[in-house]
Amino acid sequence: MSHGTEIEHHDNIVMDSEAAGAGRIALIVGGVSLALALALGFRDLPKLERAYLVAFMYVLSIALGMLWFVAIQHLTNAKWSVVVRRVAEIIANSMPFVALLSLGVIGPMLAGSTNLYVWLDHEKVEQDHLLLHKAAYLNLGFFLVRCLVYFGFWSWLSRRFFTMSVRQDEEGGSEISSALQRISAPSMIGFAVTLTFAAIDFIMSLDATWFSTMFGVYYFAGCVLSAYSILGLSLMWIQSKGRLERTVNQEHYHDIGKMMFAFTIFWAYIGFSQFMLIWYADIPEETHWYHWRFEGDWKYVSALLLVAHFVLPFFGLMSRHIKRNKRTLAFWAFWILAIHYVDLFWLVYPNGSPTIPLSPVDILCAVGVVGLFFGLAAQRARKLNLIPTGDPRLADSLAFENI
Amino acid sequence: MSDSSETSTPIPEPEQVHGLLAEYSTPQQLIAAARRIRDAGYSRWDSYSPFPVHGIDPAMGIRPTVLPWIVFAAGLTGGTGALALQWWTSSVDYRWIVSGKPFFSIPANIPITFELTVLSASLTCLLGMLLMNKLPMLAHPLDRSRRFARVTDDRFFVLVQASDPKFDAKDTAGLLQATSPRGPIEVVMEDTKSSNVIPRGIVYALLVLATAAIVPFALSALARVSTSEQTRLDIVPDMDFQQKFKAQRENTFFADKRAMRLPVEGTVAVGELRDDDHFYTGKVDGTFAKTFPSQIEISDATMELGRKRFGTYCTPCHGVDGSGQGMVHQRARSLMQGTWVQPADLRQDKDIYRSVGELFDNISRGVRNMPAYERQIDTQDRWAIILYLRALQRSQSAHLEDVPQAERGALK
Repeated sequence: MSHGTEIEHHDNIVMDSEAAGAGRIALIVGGVSLALALALGFRDLPKLERAYLVAFMYVLSIALGMLWFVAIQHLTNAKWSVVVRRVAEIIANSMPFVALLSLGVIGPMLAGSTNLYVWLDHEKVEQDHLLLHKAAYLNLGFFLVRCLVYFGFWSWLSRRFFTMSVRQDEEGGSEISSALQRISAPSMIGFAVTLTFAAIDFIMSLDATWFSTMFGVYYFAGCVLSAYSILGLSLMWIQSKGRLERTVNQEHYHDIGKMMFAFTIFWAYIGFSQFMLIWYADIPEETHWYHWRFEGDWKYVSALLLVAHFVLPFFGLMSRHIKRNKRTLAFWAFWILAIHYVDLFWLVYPNGSPTIPLSPVDILCAVGVVGLFFGLAAQRARKLNLIPTGDPRLADSLAFENI
Repeated sequence: MSDSSETSTPIPEPEQVHGLLAEYSTPQQLIAAARRIRDAGYSRWDSYSPFPVHGIDPAMGIRPTVLPWIVFAAGLTGGTGALALQWWTSSVDYRWIVSGKPFFSIPANIPITFELTVLSASLTCLLGMLLMNKLPMLAHPLDRSRRFARVTDDRFFVLVQASDPKFDAKDTAGLLQATSPRGPIEVVMEDTKSSNVIPRGIVYALLVLATAAIVPFALSALARVSTSEQTRLDIVPDMDFQQKFKAQRENTFFADKRAMRLPVEGTVAVGELRDDDHFYTGKVDGTFAKTFPSQIEISDATMELGRKRFGTYCTPCHGVDGSGQGMVHQRARSLMQGTWVQPADLRQDKDIYRSVGELFDNISRGVRNMPAYERQIDTQDRWAIILYLRALQRSQSAHLEDVPQAERGALK
């Protein structure tokens, strides 16, 4: 039974000019910022490449987190999340654009830049036994093949979840839900593998001799955390425009808040597990990565991460009243998105230098890439139903209550 | 939630009335009925449903539970308790030097802290929930109602207890009747046949199990204080007998039957070329050197390095002051180990006048019971230890005149 018509009478679920307008502003802001970043950073290409990598990994983490969110809802046959799933589907469906953005990282590599990845430098690889040993994996050709696999798989998967779900708006019925549930389980395995290797390739291989098996999970924790924050904020923005006002309520925000809380702990758990294994084994080839981050000015960033990425949001998000209140939840969502950027900055930058090279180029790159990403997502959200009206579980989601 | 004040007087009947039961077909009816009973001011009553009914809590006037605060407090207690326990045991009550590591450090103690936080929070959550709901409840008067059995399937019930201060057989029945229940209002009698007492058989079985649970601990305790002629049990044999060759053991695979292999003739391993006798052996022209080799800088940094290494490797036996009264010695004496020889008192004249080269040789190759430390301590660090030892020896037999004039005041 389709509840579509019932909902349409009940609530306003389509955005047209507002989405287009906001999307246009975001695209302009993003485009101008990125152009400024290029203009400012042109003289210092190594700096620009790193700044862009942080911004790119930031947007990628949001898109991946959204894709994971959509997949896990189908995998678990979740009912509560139906009214918030379409927004995630739309954002995740920008994955082909993220693939395009990756050219900002891959382009310089193709042009022969070795600023980011030392393993691209043949001379250094020849001299370093360890790098030579890893050359079978860390070489440009195989890297490009892997990128094709990653972005191809993610784009295909997000597109599939999106188009099938939109088709269900028209057709209704439970066949599409079942079909998506069937692909969600194997896709989750593919997702875990591709995300892990992508995190290794794009960030961990910056320090090509260092290795940590926890690294992919660490990046994943940030992906999910930021995706839930964006999801909550997107819904609040949509509701501020008079859409979904009676569809999404504090019960749904409460659940989003719970996931933000849970993944705040998960991030700390994974981050500490990675640290402690390396700390107590105390092997120089592993510890140097942390050594760089515990020396000079970087030690303040490490301390900031501990406090602001875990301790404060942990206590801040604990109460149900905070999760059920849009304003307080929005505060913590912005907080998490800000500290997630710091986290990625902390992963990408330190390379033995004690100072923190934060500059306007970093901010401009981040604003640019984020602006383009969300501008495009908002443009594409035009005329779409903002909830999957054909989903048979919609009524359950509308009536959802936390006990 | 229930009110603890019991003010009603027992009705002098052999079979007392426990309460009045009303049955409903839908959760909506249950909620409507709950609202009316709430508004009528009843406190000792409850609703029953086959599944959690959304909105029943406000309809019944149930206030949010305080359990989350209790769980929060328990989590905090568990976390701080775990940290305090580890800090107190390892850095206050039983300080034990392990390779010069700090007695207390946060990273090493986080896993226990985390686990105990989670454990106390979740156990408190479970037990608190059970206690606050008065569970487990072994018997209830409603168990005897045939109609009530359908509460596990498709019916919804409200029971107003006779112990409620507002209970009145007629008025309450009227109120329930007004909520349009399904079928007649049922009078539930107190249950005089069943009891809340746990059956004896179960009690005995639990006692036997509890006693049996002590046996492994008792056996462990017994094994600690007794000796046995029998060989030990190998519960995990491949841990006890590992397929490897330990140092100095025989290995029939090789012609010389040594497990330890010599370097190939005429080769030197990387970093093993030791062509500086003074630095690597402490000898100059075959006799023990009286001076430090040129590679060792006599500086505060070297002294500090030596202090650290001495703290790590030497103090367990020789003690912090070099007197030979270290913790290992004290422990051996407390165990009355007959074969134990006290470690050398490094403050004695014979050690003070011993040349640095000989001391270096002693550390590197061992002396009497003391093992060789050549493989454990870097060459540089062994010399640094000797430098520190010299300062230590001096300080242990120092006079006031040795202290710089400016700092003498601090000693008085």
